[in-house]
Amino acid sequence: MRSHAAAVAWEFRQRHRWGLIAVACYLLALATFKLLSLERGQPITFDDEQTFAFAVIVPSATAFMYFLAVFSFGFAGDLAGRQSIYPARMFTLPATSGALAGWPMLYGTVAVAILWLATRFLAAWPSDLDVPLIWPALLAAVFLAWTQALTWMPYALPGLRVIVTVLMMILIDIVIFTAHDSKASEVVMLAILAPNIPLAYLVARFAVARARRGDVPDRRRIFARIGRIADLLSRRRDRFRSPASAQAWFERRRHGRSLPALVGILLPFELFLLFLFRDTPVLVFETLCAVLLTPPFMAVFVAATVSKPNLNGSDSYGVTPFIATRPLTSVSLVTAKLKVTIWSTLATWLLVIVTIPLALRIFGTSPMVIEWTQKLVEAVGTPRAVVIVLLGFSALMASTWKQLVQSLCIGMSGRAWLVKGSVFLALSLLTIMVLLAQWVFENSGVIVTLLDAFPWILAVLVCFKISAAAWVAMRLHDSRLLSDRTLVIGALCWNVAVFALFGLLVWLLPTVLFRSHFLALVAILAIPLARLSAAPLALSWNRHR
Amino acid sequence: MESVINVSELTRRFGATKALASVSLSVTRGAVHGLVGANGAGKTTLIKHVLGLLRAKSGSVRVFGLDPVAEPVAVLSRIGYLSEEKDLPEWMRVDELIRYSRAFYPAWDEVYAEELRQTFALDPTTKIRNLSRGQKAQAGLLIALAHRPELLVLDEPSSGLDPIVRRDILGAIIRTIASEGRTVLFSSHLLAEVEQVADHVTMIDQGRIAQSGPMEALKESYRCVTVRFAEPRPRPPDVAGVLCWDGGDREWTAVVHGDSGELDGAVANWGGRVVAERAPSLEELFIAHVGTPADPAREA
Repeated sequence: MRSHAAAVAWEFRQRHRWGLIAVACYLLALATFKLLSLERGQPITFDDEQTFAFAVIVPSATAFMYFLAVFSFGFAGDLAGRQSIYPARMFTLPATSGALAGWPMLYGTVAVAILWLATRFLAAWPSDLDVPLIWPALLAAVFLAWTQALTWMPYALPGLRVIVTVLMMILIDIVIFTAHDSKASEVVMLAILAPNIPLAYLVARFAVARARRGDVPDRRRIFARIGRIADLLSRRRDRFRSPASAQAWFERRRHGRSLPALVGILLPFELFLLFLFRDTPVLVFETLCAVLLTPPFMAVFVAATVSKPNLNGSDSYGVTPFIATRPLTSVSLVTAKLKVTIWSTLATWLLVIVTIPLALRIFGTSPMVIEWTQKLVEAVGTPRAVVIVLLGFSALMASTWKQLVQSLCIGMSGRAWLVKGSVFLALSLLTIMVLLAQWVFENSGVIVTLLDAFPWILAVLVCFKISAAAWVAMRLHDSRLLSDRTLVIGALCWNVAVFALFGLLVWLLPTVLFRSHFLALVAILAIPLARLSAAPLALSWNRHR
Repeated sequence: MESVINVSELTRRFGATKALASVSLSVTRGAVHGLVGANGAGKTTLIKHVLGLLRAKSGSVRVFGLDPVAEPVAVLSRIGYLSEEKDLPEWMRVDELIRYSRAFYPAWDEVYAEELRQTFALDPTTKIRNLSRGQKAQAGLLIALAHRPELLVLDEPSSGLDPIVRRDILGAIIRTIASEGRTVLFSSHLLAEVEQVADHVTMIDQGRIAQSGPMEALKESYRCVTVRFAEPRPRPPDVAGVLCWDGGDREWTAVVHGDSGELDGAVANWGGRVVAERAPSLEELFIAHVGTPADPAREA
């Protein structure tokens, strides 16, 4: 390596090559799409907001966030800790603090600026939109530079880094939005943004120099008393009844609080919207729907940590020797996780069920909801109305739990290629499905064909599911992870759940519209089986490599 | 003697690298078995197979006569393990770690656990993340010992630790030895430690067992001989039975397999004489077996 600058560039390129290749591929796809549309002579533009969002906004925003994490060393550092997240191993390099701060900042700011310019030129923007050229590139660079400077700084309290960085981002947003709303010219925008880069560099240099000499302020004593009270509340003094209960406690402490805490943070903000929209029934309804969908939505993100067997390192997917050497079967280890996901789901929904009526009453929107309930009772009758509401809540709770557990078999496999590959596959499938759905909705002929073929599509999916479940059951039997008796009981329980759901659907839905075999297929697909039962196999594969 | 660990023809590859090559090893009940080898020799890989963290893909591993992969509960509940990685959950407090670990072992000895905690001066309310490296090792040792395991497995227990913590760990091994019927398997590259406590030793080099047997028998079968020549010699003579030479000028020291009779005659022919003879240390034996000779070129 000829210079420090080249070494830093090499590290970024080498360590994040797959991510950088993915971003490059996305930009290439955009360019190809635009070239094809130009060749046809009829420029195709994403005039539809949803399609544009999925094709341009979401991927480019994801790429930008990825660059933020890469160039601020966010993947390797502890964001919640007090110490700088700048890699300590680089502090001993024979380079000045200015160089240590400067090169990653230069590469990062150039990368995000290029990302914007590429998106600006390659994407087919809506025809009625006047897309600025330079200042958004500079805004992206300013965001990155300040993120680097503020995350590399050592802080006196844990978690302060996140708060300071987010506040700074909000401040930049406010200034830029205000300027934009005031119809500021590009020159003014540049004048506002440009000084931020050298300023952020000076802060970053100071931060790196401070971290380099081990100068980490400590003001934790301020909160020591509160911490001691919290510790006393969560302290268990009695013995665990069994190894399984000890492991369940371990999992609850590690993962159990994440979902209730996340939802608990979001709920006040969401429910406050009821006050703002109290005069508009449609918006109140939409707000309530959003509140009810929050737990399953947040569960998708929490699931990534629940399924990860090793939280000590961001790059490590394997089980730690400490857990792997617990005298427990892999099934017991998975069972502890499943128990915690149930506990976590119930705690979250308890929070939601308690806070919604309170918020409705406080903000004076409860009469609106009572009126809707009465209309439902009048339309379908009291028993059906009760069942619909209960079923709705049960479905949302089941969905929350399903989101938490359905990726267990992937995460617990401990193979980075499988985890990253599944994320890539899921995102690809999602993108394809959205584009496909868009195309389907625009072609009425296709909709009719698809509706005719829908039961067959479900039947194929059921075949896949049952085949996968049979394979998993055979592997569980061969590896002696589960006894024959347990396998049979598990299969019986699943059948009972499927029949119960099927019966409920037949009773609830008009069979004129929904044929019973169609409802049976839906019931089979709705109750988790293959992926859930594969979790012990995955953990065993990880634990005994 | 009954074998607690029985490894037979174990081979393990990681990609193109052969980590273990046809390793066979037997650890008898009550033995203190030291595994020595350079970094990357295969010690940790072998220990991970014993614990069932790696599945034997070729060959077999039996611990207490059981397959540790197929029957993890039966095997692991009788083992105390201290990992090289010191991977205790950072968010736990010391008392929580003790309470959590106790649940897994019916034979957990509360009095002994408390005695160890006090000996190591571990504050029960301190979080693991706030412990020093040495204290983390002591906490790990506490939970490995407090259930009085039949087999204690220590993987590089004193790696990177100060002499006081190393002494604690050695003391723990010695206490375990004192308990009747307990077996210890520990890996280390601190050969003086192994020599101090092990009664059996296995040297691993590049995935192969270079030497294995009782410590005393092993040391008795080699001699460390110092030879002085009449004239300075750039290279030592090539003599059958000599594993390696060290030294320079007129005085050279050889590690010899068997007795030194043949060497006496050979050096006399080269105008030299034996001036000292003693039993080799484990370190000298290890270097003789797996180390690169100081001067590989030999005079014919």
